[in-house]
Amino acid sequence: VSWRVNVFGVRHLSPMGGWQLRQYLDAIRPTAVLIEGLNDAGALIPDMVRAATRPPIAILAYTDALPVRTLVYPLAVYCPEYQAIRWATDHKTTVEFIDLSSEHFLGLIDAEYELAERARAEAIAKSKDAEPVDKPAIEETAAVPEPRRSLYQRIAEQAGETDYDTYWERHFEHNASVESYRLAAHELGSSLRDMEEDSPRWRAENLVREAFMRRRVEETIAAGHHPEKIVVVVGAFHAPVMNGDHASMTDDELASLRKRSSKLTLMPYSYYKLSSQSGYGAGNRAPAYFELLWHALDRGAFADLPASYLSLVARHLREHGIPRSTAEVIDGVRLARTLSALKDGLAPTLTDLHDAATTLLGQGERITVVEALARVDVGTAIGELPKGVSQTSIQEDFDRELARLKLEKYKTSSTKQELTLDLRENRLAKTIETAFLDLARSSFFHRLRVLEIGFARPVATREQSTNWKERWELQWTPESEIALVEAVLLGETVELATAYKFNAYLEKCASIADAAVMVRDACQCGMMDAMEQARRHLQTLAATSSDFNAIAHAAWQLGLVARYGDVRKFDPAPLLPLVEELFVQGSLALFPSASCDAEAARGMLVAIDELNRTALEFHDLVDEPLWLHELRRLSDADDRNPLLSGYACAMLLERGAMANDELAREVSRRISPGAPADLGAGWFEGLAQRNRYALLARQALWEQLAAYIASLDDDQFKRALVFLRRAFGGFSAYEKRHIAENLGQFWGLNADLAAEQIEQALTEQEESTLQDLNEFNFDDL
Amino acid sequence: MTKKTGTDGAAASGGMLRAPAETLYAEELEALIAEDKHERPPGWRMSARAVHTYVCGGKAGKLDIKPKYIGQPRLVEIAIATLVTDRSLLLIGEPGTAKSWLSEHLAAAINGDSTKVVQGTAGTTEEQVRYTWNFAMLIANGPSHDALIKSPIYRAMESGSLARFEEITRCASEVQDALISLLSEKRLSVPELLTEIPAQKGFSVIATANTRDRGVNDMSAALKRRFNIVVLPTPGTLETEIDIVRRRVRELAVSLELRSEVPSEEALEKVVTIFRELRTGQTLDGKNKLKTPSGVLSTAEAISVLANSMALAGNFGVGKVTAHDLAAGLQGSIVKDEEKDRATWQEYLTNVLKKRGAEWRPLYNACAEHNA
Repeated sequence: VSWRVNVFGVRHLSPMGGWQLRQYLDAIRPTAVLIEGLNDAGALIPDMVRAATRPPIAILAYTDALPVRTLVYPLAVYCPEYQAIRWATDHKTTVEFIDLSSEHFLGLIDAEYELAERARAEAIAKSKDAEPVDKPAIEETAAVPEPRRSLYQRIAEQAGETDYDTYWERHFEHNASVESYRLAAHELGSSLRDMEEDSPRWRAENLVREAFMRRRVEETIAAGHHPEKIVVVVGAFHAPVMNGDHASMTDDELASLRKRSSKLTLMPYSYYKLSSQSGYGAGNRAPAYFELLWHALDRGAFADLPASYLSLVARHLREHGIPRSTAEVIDGVRLARTLSALKDGLAPTLTDLHDAATTLLGQGERITVVEALARVDVGTAIGELPKGVSQTSIQEDFDRELARLKLEKYKTSSTKQELTLDLRENRLAKTIETAFLDLARSSFFHRLRVLEIGFARPVATREQSTNWKERWELQWTPESEIALVEAVLLGETVELATAYKFNAYLEKCASIADAAVMVRDACQCGMMDAMEQARRHLQTLAATSSDFNAIAHAAWQLGLVARYGDVRKFDPAPLLPLVEELFVQGSLALFPSASCDAEAARGMLVAIDELNRTALEFHDLVDEPLWLHELRRLSDADDRNPLLSGYACAMLLERGAMANDELAREVSRRISPGAPADLGAGWFEGLAQRNRYALLARQALWEQLAAYIASLDDDQFKRALVFLRRAFGGFSAYEKRHIAENLGQFWGLNADLAAEQIEQALTEQEESTLQDLNEFNFDDL
Repeated sequence: MTKKTGTDGAAASGGMLRAPAETLYAEELEALIAEDKHERPPGWRMSARAVHTYVCGGKAGKLDIKPKYIGQPRLVEIAIATLVTDRSLLLIGEPGTAKSWLSEHLAAAINGDSTKVVQGTAGTTEEQVRYTWNFAMLIANGPSHDALIKSPIYRAMESGSLARFEEITRCASEVQDALISLLSEKRLSVPELLTEIPAQKGFSVIATANTRDRGVNDMSAALKRRFNIVVLPTPGTLETEIDIVRRRVRELAVSLELRSEVPSEEALEKVVTIFRELRTGQTLDGKNKLKTPSGVLSTAEAISVLANSMALAGNFGVGKVTAHDLAAGLQGSIVKDEEKDRATWQEYLTNVLKKRGAEWRPLYNACAEHNA
């Protein structure tokens, strides 16, 4: 039986499509509106049009088992599909989605992945000698796959446009005359089908979908709707085949389609996500601009669009301190109109507006306006759904957790609030649950942090050493909701999703530092299994590494985590052997790593300190004698970076592992006339990095220094002065005074007089003498 | 076809060193006017689209129109659209980005006259922008229309055509500012004659300005607001730049009657590569950082290096551009500030050119010899 229904071909996210579709529906007054969309999402339609619903929203379909496949179907207020739904609900008309069900779509995506996987495997097998290069993973397929870009590009080129978006806007979005859109879309659909070329998979998929859509149309006719009173809203590409001339899908065919069991939900969406979504060529690069277009159409003020667009850009520029006059906006509008007229356009396209904004408002420089353009194009709109509409298992779990942890009040208010947690056991509490309430909260917040759900953000505290106290900033925002809904793709509950994310990270993690951070994260999230995995991974990485900084840092991080054991109620025992192991590795890597340039040496100072603190904290666990031995080796060495040698020496002094006479010998060796000046200075600098008071109190050191200075002749003194000045440059005035007193004592000077001399500002002459000395080339001596 | 226009051009230009664009490309312009079916803006000889075809290349009937500006056609569209509205156009860019070239061709296409030019210098006075007097007549007869000497801009206003203002940033700021009220009110007052000249439809100014040269004056914000500003970029890719250089060198060879073969494709590529690398301060593959010499090393200079070497080869050499002819030209354009540039060039030669293998060896040897 051949049938004809009213078909309206559209482009998803097309304001003019939405506007003309409404007029078309008003004219036809259909009894049934059929829309290209996930068949089983029909149940969500009432929620999409509730009074409290504010687009952009999206339908999210996902498989409930691994591997996770997903499908996002975003809707903005100006979408023809959304307007059709609105119209139908307003007029109490049947409205249904007629594309394949989500389970079939996800099955198709599954098949696509497998195909790509197989192709990749073959490619690798072919080039066995070559390194198997990871091909970029296929882009997460969002909504309907589109044909190859070149097809659209060619259409645009035929019309003399540089890109398809501009072509579409000029030919479809600006023509408000009756029926123009529907007829042009039909035309475009036909020519696209003619031009379609070698992409059998893409073609087959479309044929399957179209057959199914025709089946649904026939069902609707069978249900008693007159074909003339049915309006079908589909993509322009499908419009030409939505009639009875083509076969529809049989039951057997339907049953033979591959399926993945799936779930569906509505979720709030944002214009930002809409514009950054890839692989979905549907005029979404500038959602806020298209909404502007939609409202202009709605108000009947379409001609004002360029003026309001450029005014918004100018306003944004002014807010950011770039003054731009109304005159420039006016001239911008004129330029945009002329540019469009050169192409026989009816109104300026977004590209014309961009170029006009660059020329006038940016005074020729794109960079001036680029941020303002992005703002006005994309906007910051975020959708909203009434409470309880968006319900995924992870949202339920989230709400359950909030109730369990007595945090509900933070979700209901939208202001930012701070919460300080005390992770220790509350001894006054009656149940275990309440006694560790804050600890459970902390784990929960850390999980959200790992999942990048912005509800809870850690606030830096000053008391870094107290590991039982944490401060968090809590704020419920629509973005958090979006992030939460998306997290369902990782797992059904917050905990499962976090675990999944950990695994994914761990697979990618290739550096010791990252692995150590993951151990810490897992501990903070209270996820012991994940921590154990991260620990093992860290061990594997560390075994083959000799990067001193990374190892020291990892040892320190791990030590921190182990210290948490007490507070976080877990047994740190499995971590300790790794701390021990890392410590040995770090100790052995110290000496070879110490031959480096000044810049690298500064970074190593921190690492040495970290390893030293680990040694002090776990002195009964780690091989401390080895550490001291290595420090001593570094301290004695002449061929390592002098800063680090000095630092090692200071560390030994601090630990009482170096006697006075040893120090005296070392000083005289380092500053003896034979040694290059900068080496001596560097050594002193390193020595002075730690515990200056201990240094000041060492009489032997100053005695040595005094003797050394007294032994110098004039030229040698000049030379020594330069580097000694540098070495002591970092000391405070009080410390310098102390040194002067020390030295004065050995030279038999009055301490007060000497100090006075020192604290006086340098005269100009002295200053210039010093300057000359600094520039003096001692190699000539 | 290329050759034909070239010889015609050379013939038409007679003894002129360089004929204006409207003479050189008269044939193309006439064909475009004959084939033009679109509406012409008031005061224009052809439609905006035809102007675009003239500048960016295409077809007029059976005649191939050679592209004059190689770069983003969209920029040319913006420039033309600016002139269609009564706004003035300011072309900004580094030396050698074809600002004056584009300005001349736009004026040639739109009015058939690219010669109403104010050539901006540090010594340009306000009189050269507005008008001055024939002082003998002024003293003899007092102020009168006959004693008035009109500036190119004055004449453009009267006839409703385009005036060009070259190197506007070289003029003192006071002189630049003489344009402000002229451009916003489109009238020029001559108080001495108690009169005012209204600009006829079609009047506009195309100004060009340089961003990187030394000794330029800033433009006031008020004046900038009177212009639609189009920034012309340096050629984006090696291929585009080679293309530009090739075309211009061929044209020069004909009009200057250089008695030498046009340099080989290989020589073109080498010269442009050297220029691009030194200009951006890194090798084309992005692996080596380089010092940049003090000069700008514009595309225009690359063209003159090649033309120069052709002249050398033609007059003193074997009639074919050799590595030595190129080296002489390169030396001259790269080493400007003796000491520093010489070292920079030497560094580039030893660190980059020398290591490029046998193909580059003759050029390296020649350059090293010149730089010694």
